[in-house]
Amino acid sequence: MRQRSLIAITAALAAGALTLTACGSRGGDKGSDSGNGGTIVTIGVDAPLTGDLSALGLGIKNSADLAAKTANKQNFVKGITFKILPLDDQAQPSSGQQNAVRLVADKTVLGAVGPLNSSVSESMQKVFDDAKLVQVSPANTGPSLSQGPDWRTKKVRQYKSYFRTSTTDAIQGPFAAQYVYNDAKKKKVFVIDDKKTYGAGLAGTFTEEFKKLGGKVVGTEHINPDTKDFSAVATKVKKSGADVVYYGGEYPQAGPLSKQIKAAGAKIPLVGGDGINDADFVKLAGPDSTGDLATSVGAPVEELDSAKQFVADYKAAGYKEEYSAYGGYSYDSAWAIIEAVKKVVEDNGGKLPSDARAKVTEAMQNVSFDGVTGKVSFDEFGDATNKQLTVYRVENGAFTSVKSGTFTG
Amino acid sequence: MSGIGPLEPGEGTRAWDAPGPDDPPRTTPAHGPLARLHQRHRRAVLTAAVLILLLAGGGYLHATRDHTPRPAPSAPSSPSPSPPPFPSQVTDVSYLDAVVTPPGDTGARSFSFAVLVSVRSGPPVTVTHIGQPYAGLSVTSEPRPPFRTKAGSAQKIVITMHVKECTEVPESATLPFLNVTLRNVRTIQAHSFILGPRYAQDLSHALQVACGNDFR
Repeated sequence: MRQRSLIAITAALAAGALTLTACGSRGGDKGSDSGNGGTIVTIGVDAPLTGDLSALGLGIKNSADLAAKTANKQNFVKGITFKILPLDDQAQPSSGQQNAVRLVADKTVLGAVGPLNSSVSESMQKVFDDAKLVQVSPANTGPSLSQGPDWRTKKVRQYKSYFRTSTTDAIQGPFAAQYVYNDAKKKKVFVIDDKKTYGAGLAGTFTEEFKKLGGKVVGTEHINPDTKDFSAVATKVKKSGADVVYYGGEYPQAGPLSKQIKAAGAKIPLVGGDGINDADFVKLAGPDSTGDLATSVGAPVEELDSAKQFVADYKAAGYKEEYSAYGGYSYDSAWAIIEAVKKVVEDNGGKLPSDARAKVTEAMQNVSFDGVTGKVSFDEFGDATNKQLTVYRVENGAFTSVKSGTFTG
Repeated sequence: MSGIGPLEPGEGTRAWDAPGPDDPPRTTPAHGPLARLHQRHRRAVLTAAVLILLLAGGGYLHATRDHTPRPAPSAPSSPSPSPPPFPSQVTDVSYLDAVVTPPGDTGARSFSFAVLVSVRSGPPVTVTHIGQPYAGLSVTSEPRPPFRTKAGSAQKIVITMHVKECTEVPESATLPFLNVTLRNVRTIQAHSFILGPRYAQDLSHALQVACGNDFR
């Protein structure tokens, strides 16, 4: 009898424990990204996964993947399991366009994160927009992508399906010019760019503001991004008497360019935008890069508690590559798509509607959440409303934040 | 032990002590059909009672569990309280308009703007310094720093620019800064606020009025 009593009590305790466990696990940790069953929603990711810019591209891919896994783990959208489909654009517009076509053809794709390059985005936007497939770039900074080619005088939204979580070069270039002229006290600049949409555009907005402030442009050059021999340009910089170089482009060229300028005898800082804000720049530029500057979109990670959590989660997920400059923006881009899908599903009785892509694109305009990079929402052009920028300086072999600004206009 | 006594002690427990002389007398055992039924099925009854209690307890815990909304996906998930936010992450400085220069700040080449300092959340933020980046200008404000703003509130500040040297100011800048030093219980930060195109236009206009043809 005693045994029977104990068994009965143990059974009762077990039943109670199971009841509590069941209550506690609802919507909780499912333990993996294997999904929650139900409908699969694919988030396409387009970025350079191979080639010179792969450090940035792989960070974008992994961070979008982390967002999808987190949503699945939290059962964030009931009945929906998210997965990503990463495609390599090799930083080439033609590859990007092919990838856009492929993503459009996959009916499970309800949104795309990417690309890195503004020039690649130009080739993808119309493909996505024709299919009403929402695109959220974590890294495009070219103003014309959202505000049209005449953005300086008359802003006109180009595509309703295009959004971005990064800020634009309309702010980044002048922000850099203000810092270089007023804080770093540099008055004579030699401007170089790689002739691409991003590089030439950023160099243009920097130059315009630098001249307005009273600075002088003592030389300009365009480089071929397919080469790494910049000795001729470096010699011109040395002879120009410039006290600073501004480079519109990306780190694979900016690193060797900085190194060769210093080797030519011009011990002056090279300044660039978010495209050079990567640890690989410092490796390529060598120890003489101390004092080089980069502006980048967003606040420093150490100022954002949400970013610290992202960094911890990224590390715990065990990705081989760094999240790099756009990791937080990529996570937020993917999460914006997840939020839009959630809204559409909830408005349709818990299921995806037949015109899900159009509805998700429509919902994106009103998405608002506290993300890794701060408050995430979009203005009437699809641009991020959060417009923070930071100046980083190479110190002790790494970029260190020196000044941040917030656009509140 | 009597037949109406407690359940047999389980492993690791002990039998109840026998009543002492000072203990209150036990009530007389109940009789009657219900009592006899109870005696025959007391283990089952007690087991059922334990089960009911456990389920009730589970239900209570479930019903009273934390109903606060799930934190944002990227919000810290650790149970320890989050530190206060950095002041620059919760403070906005936005441009209002050009205004009349306050008495006492007037000068031949002075002009004023109103800005709004607001704090969204967290502990109060103190503005300890307001500056601007151009060598040919200086700035004062009313109220003068330091002044404090609480979360959820905003206050209008009048900043007055004083032209010291026209050759050291820009005739027209696209995104002029206002440099503000912010302090809260977490840290002190120098932060630039880019007040936008309307401020840029008003600043340029005021500088042109103040300097005429004296720009560099």
